[in-house]
Amino acid sequence: MELFRNIWRRKLRSTLTISGIVIGVFALTTMGALAENFNALIDGGVKYFGGSIQVGPPDGQAAALLPVSKIDEIRKVEGVEAAFAGYSFQAKPGGALVFSFGVPDTIVGADPDENNYSALKLTYAQGRFVSASSRGEVTLGSTISREFKKNVGDTIDLPVKPADAKPDFINHTFTVVGILNETKTAPDSFAYINLTDAQMLLGDSLPASFRGSIDTSQITEGISVYGKPGTSLSDLDKIADRINDQVPGVKALRPSDLVNAFKAGGQVFTAVAIAAAVLALVVGGLSVINTMFMAVSDRVREIGLKKAVGATTTNIMGEFLIEATLMGLIGGLIGYGLGVLLVVVRNTAFPAADGSTLFLITPTLTVLAIGFATVLGAGAGVFPAWRAARLDPVIALRND
Amino acid sequence: MAGVQLVGLTKHYKRGQEIIRALDGVTLDIAPGEFVAVIGRSGSGKTTMLDLLGLLLKPTAGSLVIDGVETTQLGDRQRAHMRARKVGFVFQEYNLLSGLTVFENVMLPQRYAPQARGDGEAGKKRALDLIERVGLTDRIKHRPSELSGGQMQRVAIARSMVNRPSLILLDEPTGAVDTETAQQLVDLLKLLNRQEGVTLVLVTHDLDIAGNATRHIRLKDGQVVSDEKVGEPVTV
Repeated sequence: MELFRNIWRRKLRSTLTISGIVIGVFALTTMGALAENFNALIDGGVKYFGGSIQVGPPDGQAAALLPVSKIDEIRKVEGVEAAFAGYSFQAKPGGALVFSFGVPDTIVGADPDENNYSALKLTYAQGRFVSASSRGEVTLGSTISREFKKNVGDTIDLPVKPADAKPDFINHTFTVVGILNETKTAPDSFAYINLTDAQMLLGDSLPASFRGSIDTSQITEGISVYGKPGTSLSDLDKIADRINDQVPGVKALRPSDLVNAFKAGGQVFTAVAIAAAVLALVVGGLSVINTMFMAVSDRVREIGLKKAVGATTTNIMGEFLIEATLMGLIGGLIGYGLGVLLVVVRNTAFPAADGSTLFLITPTLTVLAIGFATVLGAGAGVFPAWRAARLDPVIALRND
Repeated sequence: MAGVQLVGLTKHYKRGQEIIRALDGVTLDIAPGEFVAVIGRSGSGKTTMLDLLGLLLKPTAGSLVIDGVETTQLGDRQRAHMRARKVGFVFQEYNLLSGLTVFENVMLPQRYAPQARGDGEAGKKRALDLIERVGLTDRIKHRPSELSGGQMQRVAIARSMVNRPSLILLDEPTGAVDTETAQQLVDLLKLLNRQEGVTLVLVTHDLDIAGNATRHIRLKDGQVVSDEKVGEPVTV
């Protein structure tokens, strides 16, 4: 109680000091939640691309298309366990350009068996994955299902017709057969259809003059290649090298290159976000130092008296340190609480148009925000506390 | 209780090239339970002697034994522990903590003397008993700002005794109160001296107040110029 009273004794000064910490932790919480959300997205990419090899057309080829026959050639390469064709299309073509930390809504044509090999396992909140044989089925990611307010059994027209669509714009009605659980990464914004329907959309996407003259069942936009379960990243790199050596007309990307690119992007973003927040916190820390120095100056006689009645240097230092730490903790809890409030309000009351979330509060962030504020308070209190503890009791007792 | 022995106790300060002999080879033997008044003009060395007895200052030379413990070789931590257990202070300006209640102020020394306080309940009981004996039971939850000067000094006296020290040092304890209150405070101190057998060393300019003591020590230029016993110390 005495600790709280000491802090509250100088209401304005303590309030201003704690406010400095509050602002810093608020910034750390919100910026950190932004970074955590981004990192979750990155982690999904790292998981997916770190467990498969992406094969596309060789450098210099104008159209991003490959013959399906390449899949069989790739399957013969040593170490390849499975290879799947893949297609992707904008779910909302012609939409206004908006800055987003998420993945844009995308129609993905995939083989239902691919989920058995992928490191990023998809699970279902409702229903199931599209079947390979049925036509007109779609399984929606959590974000896209929220955005279009769709449940199993509903229908959705894909791609979504833009407001300024040309007369020859084509889309198709799909029945929702499953909704995925949230993954915090790309699949949340995906609408999965089977390969046959994807090839149909590929045909639709071709210029009108080419439509009908190309057999889209024989071409793919890319191939995802998998090794045996548990194949290491370096072994997948070696498989990618072998594909490049042995299969002409394709380019296999080394998974480690993709993973490193993802991680580098995440690190830069995290560093920028955290640095801004830490800067704010350091300012808060400086105000704690200032306040504690003022407290020491104000309480010189008190320190002298405590020493006279038996307080050791450690006792005095401990009391001032605990006071500074408490200020850090109070500021941390309030700042974190306000940060969480903002995140919750932003994510629920004002969700993004595409249904994606912008912030993610994680246990790590919680510990970091409150812990850092507390440690900062303690750290800022060390020097003032040391000065208080070193005061000569004779001089302190007769201080005016 | 073994009392206090000063042998050639000296404290010199350097001020530039000049050496100030604040206390210069004082030798005294203070018996347990004695009520000693230290008198002398400003600059005679009274306060320095009090600070040395309270282990707030380290002597330049000499020996100081309190309750059989030679204190001059003790480290800072041991001196702090000794202050907590063996010495009580009463100051002219009361030095109560404004944020604490009467009860909390009296309890303060127990925080730093775990050995003296026993279990928590015994410590509280001791504080409550002292508050009753100084006549402030009805003010127990009051803050210092709600008390008169005399009441504040009573709180300070109770605080000085809470750890059952063998020596209480009083630095002009009546300097900030009126004559009537001053005498009441001294009567209280004498009562506690008799009840607890504690040794009192009082530094004062006020000869009337000093007249209550059983021994008068006069200092001049850091040296004892007279040492007169005017009564018998209480039996300890």
